[in-house]
Amino acid sequence: TLMLTSLIILTLPIITTLLQNNKTNCFLYITKTAVTYAFAISLISTLLFIQSNQEAYISNWHWMTIHTLKLSMSFKLDFFSLTFMPIALFITWSIMEFSLWYMHSDPHINRFFKYLLLFLITMLILVSANNLLQLFMGWEGVGIMSFLLISWWHGRTDANTAALQAMLYNRIGDMGFIMMMAWFTIHLNSWEFQQIFLTNPKNTTLPLLGLLLASAGKSAQFGLHPWLPSAMEGPTPVSALLHSSTMVMAGVFTLIRFYPLMENNLTIQTSTLCLGAITTLFTAICALTQNDIKKIIALSTSSQLGLMMVTIGINQPHLAFIHMCTHAFFKAMLFLSSGSIIHNLNNEQDIRKMGGLYKTMPITSTAIIIGSLALTGMPFLTGFYSKDPIIETANMSYINTWALLITLIAVSMTASYSTRIIFFALLGQPRYPSLTQVNENNPYLVNPIKRLILGSIFMGFLISMNTIPHTTPQMTMPPHLKFMALAVTLLGFTVATELNNMTHNLMFKQPSRMHTFSTMLGYYPTTTHRILPYLSLTMSQNLATTIMDSIWLEKMIPKNLTTMQKTAASLVSNQKGLMKLYFLSFLLSITLGLLIAL
Amino acid sequence: MNPLALSLILTTLLAGTLITMMSSHWLTAWMGLEMNMLTMIPILMKTTNPRSTEAATKYFMTQAMASMMLMMALTINLMYSGQWSITKMTNPVASNMALMALMTKLGSAPFHFWVPEVTQGVELTPGMILLTWQKLAPLSLLYQMATYTNTNLIYLSGLLSILIGGWGGLNQTQLRKILAYSSISHMGWMLIILPFNPTLTLLNLTIYIMLTLSIFMILTNTFTTSMSSLTLMWNKTPAMTIMLMTTLLSLGGLPPLSGFMPKWLMIHELTKNNSIIMPLTMAIMALLNMYFYMRLIYYSSLTILPSTNNMKMTWRFTNTKHTMTLPTLITLSNMLLPLTPMISMLE
Repeated sequence: TLMLTSLIILTLPIITTLLQNNKTNCFLYITKTAVTYAFAISLISTLLFIQSNQEAYISNWHWMTIHTLKLSMSFKLDFFSLTFMPIALFITWSIMEFSLWYMHSDPHINRFFKYLLLFLITMLILVSANNLLQLFMGWEGVGIMSFLLISWWHGRTDANTAALQAMLYNRIGDMGFIMMMAWFTIHLNSWEFQQIFLTNPKNTTLPLLGLLLASAGKSAQFGLHPWLPSAMEGPTPVSALLHSSTMVMAGVFTLIRFYPLMENNLTIQTSTLCLGAITTLFTAICALTQNDIKKIIALSTSSQLGLMMVTIGINQPHLAFIHMCTHAFFKAMLFLSSGSIIHNLNNEQDIRKMGGLYKTMPITSTAIIIGSLALTGMPFLTGFYSKDPIIETANMSYINTWALLITLIAVSMTASYSTRIIFFALLGQPRYPSLTQVNENNPYLVNPIKRLILGSIFMGFLISMNTIPHTTPQMTMPPHLKFMALAVTLLGFTVATELNNMTHNLMFKQPSRMHTFSTMLGYYPTTTHRILPYLSLTMSQNLATTIMDSIWLEKMIPKNLTTMQKTAASLVSNQKGLMKLYFLSFLLSITLGLLIAL
Repeated sequence: MNPLALSLILTTLLAGTLITMMSSHWLTAWMGLEMNMLTMIPILMKTTNPRSTEAATKYFMTQAMASMMLMMALTINLMYSGQWSITKMTNPVASNMALMALMTKLGSAPFHFWVPEVTQGVELTPGMILLTWQKLAPLSLLYQMATYTNTNLIYLSGLLSILIGGWGGLNQTQLRKILAYSSISHMGWMLIILPFNPTLTLLNLTIYIMLTLSIFMILTNTFTTSMSSLTLMWNKTPAMTIMLMTTLLSLGGLPPLSGFMPKWLMIHELTKNNSIIMPLTMAIMALLNMYFYMRLIYYSSLTILPSTNNMKMTWRFTNTKHTMTLPTLITLSNMLLPLTPMISMLE
């Protein structure tokens, strides 16, 4: 019964959207309070779940039956969805409050809030879906909302192209998703999770590959990753909500949902592992030399997503989920603080032009420092409870040593680029024009950040204490492995600090090759965005004009026929009147004929 | 020509062919063929220009060589089997050599080179006799001896004839050469069906003779020997233009005219014997023939080329050529298709 209150959670924001056109002034506040109440109510259900460990799924409305496939609206409320929903609602509440400050001069702020609300609803549909159709509806919904929100300032071409990029890469992932749905329909005749997990089919490589592709598209894994850095064209609340805590989690979340199938398929585990490891390292390398604060944080998100993939790859979906939840907190907070910095410095996003904010914006800089520390897994902050078990488990399991090494290197790089942000944005002397007014006294700005700080500190502890471990964690390991995570993090910190201290007054004559590689995002967007469309367009043009029009319609039969017949005709009737030649041919023919006949 | 000489020559021509057709001894058959050849030469040289002489010479040399080959084949046959009967030439060397000699006499590929040149070199009437009457004797011999010959040779030669007849005729503007190539092509059709059902060979021969005679006589009536003079025929004898059109279509094998009958029956016979690719190829190659007949029809009856007003009022000379039984022949060559069940009469 109280599970149904979780349903009411969903309906509250929906009702709000239905009333949107009536009241123009208070819409924002109504939305915000609606989300707040939804959060409170969802918290009740979650606490119940924690107390009783009862899962539930509610299936209420039978939509249609196509041949033997029954489609209905059903919600799955298990550990994953019940834990994630309050977290998502909490973060959305904070972000909405923040955007009351951030976007308050925007004329279309009502529409902005409507979009944010729609996004939230689709995200919740995705999370609580019990069958693939509903999940797909949520999936597509978040894709569309991401498109609309990234191109919020649609007068700017970069924003439009970034939104298109996001849409296209998502679509490529969707192909994988649809393949998975098709496979399940053909082989298992159902899209319900219960049935899929019960029947536990044997040869699941193909659908799980599709799922991997879908997650790679949605969660910006290597190969489908360029859209995430470019998605920073959207306003900071959008980046905070979508591209740090919720939407990019959708991919990983779906992978986690399918963990019963993935337990049995080692191929998929290995490929997830390798893909995650490559993503982590690559994006961490790219984040090291970026100059735009939002891009650094975006690439850091991508790197953490890679880490989650690695965790799934070593068959620890619950650890990945916990990391997902905790990551949401501190990443959202990092984005919000960067938003506050940007707005306060008059829309300055380049960290080379910031500095000395340690004294002028204390709350923001506290937030950044705490967030970075949590991100890197400082003991007993949030990230520690999720990241450290991951590294420990990775060290102790039978996996690719190469993937493990890469992950460790990426972890140290996490520390490095976080240090870079702190160093450039907060420390030192100010490098921005002196007439900018830095003011962070607005409660709408400060309260969300304060709440998220509290969450970043305590949530890791709370979540990991309240979950029942599904796999026994490693209790004993050699001390050098136990300290490995901490050690690489500290290494990253110290190296970055030393280097930055030594070199921040120097300038490159010409950036080294490695530096350019990292700044240009590994040249991946530059090459693929041009080559792939060029190839497909030229191929189709060749097909249409050359093969179809010119060869098949013109040359194949009409022209060839005429040439052939004309040649043959002139060949045959080209006789000189010399009898000697005729006799010669007669002789030859007789000889040949007798040879044939005998 | 002196009428006495002419009657002697024509009688000898007739006698030669009849002797060949009626003999069962190889020597008399050969003798008939020689008589044929020798009397053909003055007919070919009726007009005394060097062109005709050259054509006659070529004809003589080719046919003489063919007769020599035939004689050698007969001698070999005598050596191996000791008898002169036409239907029992069991030695393969002898029978194939004789086959090839007879094919040369008929003008099938690959021995076809003399046909267009000789036909072009002479007037229309000797050409007519050349292409129709001269086929009777060798074909009657082939009809009797074909069972012991190598069928591969027959198919090869037949298909090649159809091809060469089709492609050769595409490049021509002179009507006599066109009809020569058409004769080569029809010889091909006749040869192919020989191992399967010799009756159809004879049927094809009959209808071919009717058609060719009609065409030659129409052309003689209107004094046309090239495609350019064809285009003026509409003015002088419009009825005959239309007759030419239908007869040419019949020669190409278009139903419902009678030229369709032999082709249809031959394809039927071939498919009954489980050979599908060969009649398919033959039918497609016959389209080449049809193309240049269509070209002739196009220029004679379907279009009127631009001309001055003077040309529309030509002198009409009275015709001194003998074109006897032309109306009968034309009717027969166009309308015989419904009488197809009467073929059983030939069995």
